Amino acid sequence: MFLCAGVLVGLAIGILPGLGGIVGMTILLPLIYGMDPHAAFALLIGMVAVIPTSDTFPSVMMGIPGSSGSQATIMDGYPLARKGEAARALGAAFTASLTGGLFGAAVLTGVIPIARPIVLSFGSPELFMLALLGLSMVGVLSGNQPIKGVLAAGIGLMIGAMGDAPALPEYRYYFGIGYLMDGIPLVIVGLGLFAFPEIIDLLIKGKAISEAATLGKGWMQGVKDAISHKLIILRCSVIGVIVGFLPGLGGTVVDWIAYGHVIQTTRDRGNFGKGDIRGVLAPESSNNAKEGGGLIPTLLFGIPGSGSMAVFLGGLLILGIQPGPGMVTENVDLLYTAIWSLALANVFGAGLCILLSKPISRLTVIPFNYIAPFMILIITLASYQATRSWGDLIALLVMGVLGWVMKQYGWPRPAALIGYVLSRNVETYLFISVQRYGISWITRSGVIILALIIIVSLALGIFYQSKKARKPWLVKDGAK
Amino acid sequence: MRKKCILIGMVFFLISSLGMVQLAQGVNFKGKTIKWIIPFQVGGGTDIWARVYAPFLHKYLAGNPRIVIKNVPGGGSIIGGNYFHTKVKPNGLGVFGSSGSTSFPYLLGVSAVKYDFARYHIVFGSPTGGVAYIKPGMGVKSAKDLKGFKTKLNYASQGATSLDIIPMLAFDMLGLDVKAIFGYKGRGAGRVAFEQGEVRIDYQTSTAYIRNVRPLVKQGAAIPLMTWGVLDEKGNVVRDPLEPDLPCFPEAYEMVHGKGPSGPAWEVWKTFFVAGFGVQKGMWLPEKTPQKIVKAYRTSAAKVIADPEFKEVIKKSLGGYPQMVGEEARAAFNQVLSGAEGSKPWMLKWLKERFDVTVK
Repeated sequence: MFLCAGVLVGLAIGILPGLGGIVGMTILLPLIYGMDPHAAFALLIGMVAVIPTSDTFPSVMMGIPGSSGSQATIMDGYPLARKGEAARALGAAFTASLTGGLFGAAVLTGVIPIARPIVLSFGSPELFMLALLGLSMVGVLSGNQPIKGVLAAGIGLMIGAMGDAPALPEYRYYFGIGYLMDGIPLVIVGLGLFAFPEIIDLLIKGKAISEAATLGKGWMQGVKDAISHKLIILRCSVIGVIVGFLPGLGGTVVDWIAYGHVIQTTRDRGNFGKGDIRGVLAPESSNNAKEGGGLIPTLLFGIPGSGSMAVFLGGLLILGIQPGPGMVTENVDLLYTAIWSLALANVFGAGLCILLSKPISRLTVIPFNYIAPFMILIITLASYQATRSWGDLIALLVMGVLGWVMKQYGWPRPAALIGYVLSRNVETYLFISVQRYGISWITRSGVIILALIIIVSLALGIFYQSKKARKPWLVKDGAK
Repeated sequence: MRKKCILIGMVFFLISSLGMVQLAQGVNFKGKTIKWIIPFQVGGGTDIWARVYAPFLHKYLAGNPRIVIKNVPGGGSIIGGNYFHTKVKPNGLGVFGSSGSTSFPYLLGVSAVKYDFARYHIVFGSPTGGVAYIKPGMGVKSAKDLKGFKTKLNYASQGATSLDIIPMLAFDMLGLDVKAIFGYKGRGAGRVAFEQGEVRIDYQTSTAYIRNVRPLVKQGAAIPLMTWGVLDEKGNVVRDPLEPDLPCFPEAYEMVHGKGPSGPAWEVWKTFFVAGFGVQKGMWLPEKTPQKIVKAYRTSAAKVIADPEFKEVIKKSLGGYPQMVGEEARAAFNQVLSGAEGSKPWMLKWLKERFDVTVK
């Protein structure tokens, strides 16, 4: 019962661009006071579990991130919608989401007994290397414009460095403005860089989102696509679980890592960025799987794996549940409630979304002039949820203009976003590693393994790149 | 978004009802909405604390006003504190929830701080405790063995000016050689770093300790050293009722040095201890709030604390320390206010010499 309520709230929040798990938790948190812990668990987990399912709608249909987990879906999902294949993209995405979500729940079940040693084997140096691995995806995402990609990532890193320094009692780049003391919120950077330029360009053209008049292949085709690429879904689910699992890395990059991974491991990548269905499957399976992974550090260690998990943790404390090692011994029933809620919510969520995908995909043939005011309203409201101050709106405008300029001049915006998202992690973990181990952190075995992975993935990228003789994949931004 | 609508409604309500409370006969909040400003995000410790209290205050304040929690996060709670200081009218419809992280910048004289606890009226205060523990295998079995213990240790810290002042200064006073590693995202991250072996000494608040570290102690993976202690009615630091078998910090100090703590370092430690633990959280009414409103709040808070249902609830979610109301809370927090002037220069000097940190 409560699970269904949670699922509905989650779907709604996912569909609204920019609102993610943190907002959902914030809305539900006051309600759970005094509720039975099992019901409250079902409500909260049901909500969190389906956000990465339904957030696909705005990403695919409008090129606007529905929540931070589906930013990478835009890269190929949106071009598909423009080709009139929105229903196919959605069908594929939901199938991938469902599989990823179930995989996450399955892993959560299996991994509980051995989770602690695994989490404990990742110290600060290893987390730093993982963040670097995420940053190395910038290379893949900027196509044949590596210099612009690196510079864009640099811009992202700088935006991310604004606000309070992670380790020192200092505030950086805040220009004496109170709003900037905590830096610019993720929601605003995401919406500004992606949603704002898209709306402006569509308005300038004055057309509908879909360039084809008809809707093309239906969602059944999407499901078939998903089945024929099941290995991609499986691999990306694994990535999702691992990234969600590791506390501190945060779930916001998981979609990009999965997306980068699928490009790196594919030979014929000419179509990526122009509507390759694999580019939809990868991020969607990983972002649902991440929620299962993210519950592990939250429940077993009491440390949140992502922003929404941080609020979830607060909810647990309201219910009088102290997460920690005791969960496995004293609250096993709650743990299994969590797992079941996760699995069921994914099934409900994906089912509902598939039913909805046909009617909703019709939106793409409506002339955009009719949709634009509504969209602008929504993203403004969503941004305002970040800190509920005027600064949010101003920051959105500034980020929006930045995003539009980047789009016009073919600067890869995903690179900037990845830089922004990872800047905290890179800085904090490097800082801790050097303080704790001096220079010797480089010689830790985990660090060396991760370094090799980074080098191999970069080398593969360059190798395929030169072999493919500068195919303009992934630079739709620059294709003006 | 629904929350936002409520907020807008609330703001209108506030504007329209300004000054009406004073006109009313006696203090009655019937039909009113009280805005409780919490300078942290939803789901944080202080937010939860307020949400645990709110329904009971609704029940016991005359007229059963609605109580809405308004989160004004930012700048490590400085933004919310300044918001309260500059925007909230003294009509009993706006109150503030502070935490140790709000009191510390105030004590350190951070330039951005505009709020001034000396001018407000505390309604009630909530203490918390902390337990320090260490890795086994270094020859330390209890606080007694800390005498002359010189092994180099690391401690996972959020930042030099955070609540970690309490453990770091305590370690220094015990003569331990502890290096602070900054940048960890909270006590939870510190605990994981301890389990990983990245650091070998750590502390947790009592509730987190009981839940997360006691199992480690049982497995032999951690050795508890001491608690920071709690304040008794006379304002002395005594043993923590949640961990009565462990010595509190002054006792540990005596084990190491042969006499109880005294001198400037101890005075400073105590001032910060009261702000960070002894009265870690507090509900405040603004300056110039009419005395009868303050009294109404304090009476209601006393009723809340006596409510058996409330006692059950705080045992589960806030650790179950005895709460302080009215005069008792005021007297306890006065230790912070009276120590503030004297301890600031000492603390700033210590931060500079120890961590090369300058407070701006």
